[in-house]
Amino acid sequence: MTFSSFNFLLFFPIVVILFNVIPQRGRVWFLLIASYFFYINLMPVFAMLLALVTVSTYLFTRGIANSKSSVGKHRLLVLGIIVIISPLIFFKYFSVVNHVITALLFRCGIHVPLPTISFLQPVGISFYTFMAIGYLIDVYNEEVGFESSIVTVGLFLAFFPILLSGPIERAGNILPQFKKLKRSTDYDLVTGMKMMLWGYFLKLCIADRLGLYVDLTFNNIQTSSGTTLLAASVLFPFQLYADLGGYSLIAIGVARSLGIIVIPNFKRPFFAVSMSELWRRWHMSLIQWLTNYIYTPLSFRLRRWKMGGIVTALMLTFIISGIWHSAELTFFVWGLIQGVFLSIEAVTQKKRTKFKQKFNLNKKPWFILISCVWVFVLFSFSQIFARCGSIGDAFNVLGKILNEHGEIKGISLLIPALFLLSHLLIKDFMDEYFPKKLLLFENKNVIVRHLSYAFILILILTMGVFDSGQFIYFQY
Amino acid sequence: MQKNEIIQKLTLIFRDTFCDPTLDLRDDMTTNDVENWDSLTHMQLITNVENQFGFRFKLKDLNKMKQVGDMITLIESKFDSLTI
Repeated sequence: MTFSSFNFLLFFPIVVILFNVIPQRGRVWFLLIASYFFYINLMPVFAMLLALVTVSTYLFTRGIANSKSSVGKHRLLVLGIIVIISPLIFFKYFSVVNHVITALLFRCGIHVPLPTISFLQPVGISFYTFMAIGYLIDVYNEEVGFESSIVTVGLFLAFFPILLSGPIERAGNILPQFKKLKRSTDYDLVTGMKMMLWGYFLKLCIADRLGLYVDLTFNNIQTSSGTTLLAASVLFPFQLYADLGGYSLIAIGVARSLGIIVIPNFKRPFFAVSMSELWRRWHMSLIQWLTNYIYTPLSFRLRRWKMGGIVTALMLTFIISGIWHSAELTFFVWGLIQGVFLSIEAVTQKKRTKFKQKFNLNKKPWFILISCVWVFVLFSFSQIFARCGSIGDAFNVLGKILNEHGEIKGISLLIPALFLLSHLLIKDFMDEYFPKKLLLFENKNVIVRHLSYAFILILILTMGVFDSGQFIYFQY
Repeated sequence: MQKNEIIQKLTLIFRDTFCDPTLDLRDDMTTNDVENWDSLTHMQLITNVENQFGFRFKLKDLNKMKQVGDMITLIESKFDSLTI
């Protein structure tokens, strides 16, 4: 079952109603059963893997909490991380490792074909694995206490709104909420459903409409003109934003309808004036996770290298992020590019700040506009590597964009997509610079509010794409 | 070291790290209140604090510093443990 499936339209109201009807002490159990039902509906066998990761997480956190010696705690932490991350590595990288070993043996003159096993990757494995590791480290660091109820830990890792693609929650935020699950208030329900409505609009109307154009272009690189490839490369970041941003909003909205507040995942990323700011606004829960559990420990250990330590930590963090997205070389390059961009910003930070202060540039609209566009250009450039199937394709696209012009193909697909995208851009622009003006979903006038809901609903029903398959981040 | 002395020294470090000569510290100040205070500059701040005060933080200490007041308390405790 996914958010865009018909089954979910039945599942969601039933869960919300039953959650509010049953007594408080049964709610954790109820949500756990509902979450496993949700997952089993999609991937029956892999629900056992989720349960196994849950039990491992519970046992290792209990061991860390009960261990008297710091050496013992540390050993359990390391062992726990290895055990919890093993399934993720196995499912994600088995075929790549297999391929590399076969190639190496072949080079050494040994022709031993290893058995090829193709696995279906368990959806959501990255997300619950990251949450489990984060919880383990937080218990080790005494940032959160050990949760003695395995049912609550089970719900933390399996909570259906965030199970498949995040946001990647932290135990410190969500466990206390599970300890006192109250009935949803009217405000929770209305706020949650507003988020879901906007999230479905982002996904079904914007992401999937843009996807039709972007996919058509990137699947036909040889026959597409440079101008068409440029348009698709510019639109791909918006497709990604609407896809994962839309998914995240639906997830946060579903949780909110149950009275549970989940951390945000996007904050108008294309209004960032630097790459580091963009990464504080884009896929925020993942970046926060990478910052807390990879970048900070690394940069802390390397801090005697001064700026060299920060640059090394940045490069490694983003290369790991790239490899996590996919074991392909394209994603390694994607991570490398992000690391280089951020390192340049880190190295030049002081000089840039002084220069901006000298001419008071931070307040000048033209400077903000140029900065936003520049950041977007850099980000779009890096995403070409993420979108292409190979490095060769990516360079082919870049070469065509720079050297080969021509007319834009697929105008009929482009116009409705741009019309829908304009709604998101206008909303983000207003929220960024005029947060109290032109309110629609939050308007005090009930007629304006309901007309806005109806308008978006009509757009979804008339212009939504209902057969486009899954959310992009399910594959990760 | 007295708390006032720590705040004075820390203010200078903050001003230098974040290039803001007018910055005044408050206990409840967080990363949201200071321009350019992000995970990149945070590690520079930590290194500068260590160098100026002459001690080393532990990784666990970093998680305890949610706001400036926490950092001041932690620095105080470092000096207390040195004098005991």
